[in-house]
Parts: sequence; structure tokens; C-alpha cells
Amino acid sequence: MSIVQLFEVAIACDVVLCCRVAPLQKAGIVDLIKKRTSDMTLAIGDGANDVSMIQMADVGIGISGQEGRQAVMASDFAMGQFRFLVPLLLVHGHWNYQRMSYMILYNFYRNATFVFVLFWYVLYTGYTLSTAINEWSSVLYSVVYTSAPTVIVAILDKDLSRRTLLKYPQLYGAGQREESYNLRLFIFIMVDSVWQSVVVFFIPYLAYKNSAIDSASLGDLWTLSVVILVNIHLAMDVIRWTWITHAVIWGSIVATWICVIIIDSIPTLPGFWAIYEVMGTALFWALLLAVIVVGMIPHFAAKAIREHFMPNDIQIAREMEKSQDSRDANQPEVQMSTSTRA
Amino acid sequence: MNSGDAAGSSSGGSGDAGAPRRASRKPKYSKFTQQELPACKPILTPKWVISVFLLVGVIFVPIGVASLLASNKVVEIVDRYDDACVPSNVTNKLAYIQNSTISKTCRRTLKVPKDMKQPIFVYYQLNNFYQNHRRYVKSRNDQQLRDASKANETTLCDPEKTRDGMAIVPCGLIAWSTFNDTYTFQHNTNNLSIDKTDISWKSDRDHKFGSDVFPKNFQKGPLIGGKTLNESIPLSEQEDLIVWMRTAALPTFRKLYGRIYVDLKENDTITVTLDNNYNTYSFDGKKSLVLSTSTWLGGKNDFLGLAYLTVGGLCFFLAFAFTLLYLIKPRKLGDNNYLSWNRNSAGH
Repeated sequence: MSIVQLFEVAIACDVVLCCRVAPLQKAGIVDLIKKRTSDMTLAIGDGANDVSMIQMADVGIGISGQEGRQAVMASDFAMGQFRFLVPLLLVHGHWNYQRMSYMILYNFYRNATFVFVLFWYVLYTGYTLSTAINEWSSVLYSVVYTSAPTVIVAILDKDLSRRTLLKYPQLYGAGQREESYNLRLFIFIMVDSVWQSVVVFFIPYLAYKNSAIDSASLGDLWTLSVVILVNIHLAMDVIRWTWITHAVIWGSIVATWICVIIIDSIPTLPGFWAIYEVMGTALFWALLLAVIVVGMIPHFAAKAIREHFMPNDIQIAREMEKSQDSRDANQPEVQMSTSTRA
Repeated sequence: MNSGDAAGSSSGGSGDAGAPRRASRKPKYSKFTQQELPACKPILTPKWVISVFLLVGVIFVPIGVASLLASNKVVEIVDRYDDACVPSNVTNKLAYIQNSTISKTCRRTLKVPKDMKQPIFVYYQLNNFYQNHRRYVKSRNDQQLRDASKANETTLCDPEKTRDGMAIVPCGLIAWSTFNDTYTFQHNTNNLSIDKTDISWKSDRDHKFGSDVFPKNFQKGPLIGGKTLNESIPLSEQEDLIVWMRTAALPTFRKLYGRIYVDLKENDTITVTLDNNYNTYSFDGKKSLVLSTSTWLGGKNDFLGLAYLTVGGLCFFLAFAFTLLYLIKPRKLGDNNYLSWNRNSAGH
């Protein structure tokens, strides 16, 4: 039987058992699937004879146990028992996929919105690349103003609880079907980013068009608008609000405000005192409110439509969890066993 | 013995010292590391969606109405004069404006459209003037402006750095191009005094422009860009310069020239005697004189009121639309019949 025939038979089956297989042949089986399909391959093993298979696969898992540590040292993930594979994939694999996908899309959005605001301004400076937002704020944008929320949400946010994910293994299919990171989502988020940058730039522009506004004041308005908008966008997408999430999101907005005030309190910078002057005008606050609301309306409306009229499995499971939680709160719990913790 | 797994190697708390137990390798339990922090998990229900849209509508429509009312109360007179103040027989406007021997005095007549209560703000407006041009914006030295001992600091001020080997104070293109048209006003037939103090930011006068820094070597070159400064007045009192050096954000801008503390009545005539010195002819710029009252919102600004009303109206419409949609296509929350493997009996 040739290798191609083996492949075609194997693909047609649900499970294939290979026995009396030499280490190199184990690697060969993994390679067979890897080379001929675009699927992700996972190999799990505990002995030295599994090392080549573990290294060949996309995800290699080593079991530390009876047969020593060679498998562990060659692997991407190491566990104590074979049965831990289930929570690794269904729980941690799922969470990891959701978090990574969202974080990548959000990072693109966050930076694109900021840069698009700078881009629109260039059209009104005679194409000479004057920055709408002063250089200090531009540097601090990625470092102080918007970095902590991104990191915390990427680490801590969970879309579903461990119990739900183990109860409904079909939820793992969301990752296999690429539901959280695909071209369509990327285009949506980029369109949202362009819209929000248009709102952030043009609403103040149209309001201040024939006025005595100076570039430092208007730049401060743009800085604050972008940071608040980007953080509120994140706040709308966070699924699980812990105290840390609250602290970083609202704390970042406060930190931004403080930094803008500090930057505008340095006399040797040209924008000195601009923030105090502009904060004393009612127009500034009215524009800030308008920008935040108008920027968020499409995202909010899209979220409402998508979650109610086109719910995916994860959304349904979230709602089921919520009603389960309220039922659990009202009825006393029977017993706690370690496997069902959280 | 196992030599540890990826989960960590701290020994857990095994309290009793009696029985020879293997030290537990389980890491210390903490809510944070086990991701079990108490959390709230809000779900966007129809109730929330409609409430949010209604709330936004309810907040925005009154603000929009108030803004429009405020903007309508503002009385504004805008008079473009750069085209009219050049005599009609002049063909080369640039040569005309650069010729310092010709008198540039021009008289304009303004009619007050509605009652204007003091203080009335007098601005000059420039169109197509890019004070936000990158090279222009950088062409200044803030240290030199505030500190007399730093008079020779002229970095970044190219091309207006030094003249005849000596530093120019204040250096840079921004200072060099200060606007130099002047206006005097007559109300009906009486002279109207214009208050030119306190037109700049107090913070600029106190901290950015030194009270011991005097102009030196200024506008002495072959090309005069704008205003010449009185060398015996310190920079902190040269308010026109200070106002001009707060560079404008957009290519069409106004700058405060002064204030008038007299009420003007409807149909009054204001005669303006102006010196048309400033050269906007080489780049198709426009110059206008603006007299304006102000409200809590500032100057005339219909845009804000209209924007708020539009957004408020849109939100009411969205609230209504969503209510309809929720009534047409209701869905029970958390109903597991909607799970994809229950919906298609074939399953995924």
C-alpha cells in the first residue's frame, strides 16, 4: 500500500490505530497528515520513542511520568497525566484562541485609529506631516495610554467558564471554524477604525473651522478623544469584568488625562497651558461627548444586532451560563469537587 | 523521582510533619493565578440596548437645542477686505503690497445687523494660511523667548536665525511673519476705542515670554515678513506677537485683535480705517475683519447644535427601530435550542 493510499484511507476514518510502530514511523504518520492537509496536528506521548513524533507535530505534548523526561524536554506543553489533554484543549486552548484573536484585532484597531487621525490632519497642513497630536503624547500612546488595558484583557478575559466548556465540547469547534479571527472580522474592525478616526478628527474640525483654536489645544482634544474612544471600545467588548479590568481601563483614561496635563505644564514646550485653557471652554466638553457617542454608535448597534439576531454558540452559552449562575445563587450548592471548580 | 513538571515547583503547604508525605508540587492557590477572580459578566439584553439609545437621545436633543439657540444669539460681522483694499488699477498685487512707499490705508464701512452687547471681540481672519506647516511650526526657540540669558539660542530658527552675525530675538519664521494690519474704528461718527490688552493667554505672558527679553536685530533683513517690534517693550508685553505665536491648528483661522466695550445697536455704521500691510497676495490668502459677540459656547457655531440634534434624532430612531426588531424577532436568552448542534439535527 503506498503512502497516498494510506493517507486517503486514514482521512476517511474517524480513528486510526497504529501499533508496533517505530519512533520514526510515528513521526512519519504525523508528517503524512501535516504535508497533505492544512490541519493542525497534535502529538502526545510520554516516552523517549515519542520525541520525534512530538517534534514533528504542530503542537507537541509531553507527559512527565513513568518513562522519564525526554518527552517533556522536546515538547511545547508538558502535563502530568494523559487525561489532562481534555482541559488543555477544550478549556485553555479555547480561551487562548479567543484571547489571541481579540487581542490581535484590537491592536490593529487601536493603532490604526490613532494613525488615521494623524493622517486626516496631514490633509489640512499642506501635506507637511505636522502631527495633530504632540510628540510626547504620540510616544506615550502605546506605552502608557492604551497598553495596560490591552494586556490585562488579553490575559484575564474569559468568554466562557471551564464548566461550560467541558460540558459542551462542541464549543471547541469555534476555533476550528476560525470564528474569532478571519478576514471578514478584520475588515469590519478596520472599517470601524476608519469611522472612529473620521469622527475623532472631523467633528472637532467642523466645530473649530473658523475659530481662534490653536494647534496644541485641538491636539489635546484629539488625544483625549482617541484614548477614551479606544478604551470604551475595549470596555464594550470585555466579557468578564474583574476589579483589575476596571482599574486598568478607567485608570488608563485617568492616566492619560494626567499625562496630557503634565505635558502642557512644561513651559519650554510650545503647547504650554493649552489643556487648561481649552478645558475651561464648554465647546471642548461638548465635542468630547459628541465624539465618544458618535464613534461608538456603529459598534454598539452592530454588537446588539449580532448578539441578538445572529448569535453564535459562544453567545448562547454565555447566556445559559448567566441564567445558570442566577439559579446557582438562589439554590444552595450540593457539593464541590475539584474537577468542577470554576 | 519525577523532576518536576511545567506547572511549577513550589512545594504546597503540607502542614503535618508526622507522616512521610511526598511534598506537593501544586502551586499556591490564588484567585488571580487560577483566574477565578469574582467578576461580573454583563450581557447586552434588548432592555439595555433600547435604554442606552433612549438615554443618548434624551441627553443630546436638549443640548443640541441649547447650542443652536446660543449660536443664533451670536451676532457676527465678517468683512473680507484684501481684495477690496487694493486699488482697482493695480495689476501686480504683490509688487503693490511690497512697495513700502505707497500708503496702504483703506476705509471700510460695516453695518451692524443686530444689537451687539459688549464685550465685542475683534478678530482678524486669515484663509489659506498654513500656520500648521511643519517647517513653520518648528521655527521658533522657546528658551530664547522666556530667558534673557539665552538670547543666542537660535536652534531650529532657520532661516531667521542670525543677521550680520548676531542672533535675532525673537528668532524664527513665526515671529518674523507676525500679522501687521492695524484697525481703528469709528462708531457712527465717534471714535471707538479698542482695548488691546489681555488679548493673549496670561500663562503665555507670565511664563513663556520673558519680561526681560527685548527684541533685537528684528526685521532688519531685505525681506520684511510682517510686524516690526518696538525694541523697548519686553516680549511679555508684545501681545500681538504672543497671540500670533500661538500657532493656529487649521489653515483658516482667526486671532484676537482686541475688544470693544461699547454696545452697538442695529443699523449702526462702523467705519474701519485699516492699514493693509500684510502680504497675503503671493499665495492667494484672504484677509477678513471679524466683529463678534460671544456666548457660553463661544462664537458662532451652528455645527455643534446641528450635530447634537442629528445624533439625538438618530438615537431615537434607532431605539424605535430596535424595539420593532425585538418585537418582530424575539429570542429567549440562553435557550439551548439555538445552539448550532441542536438547531441542525445533522449537527456540525
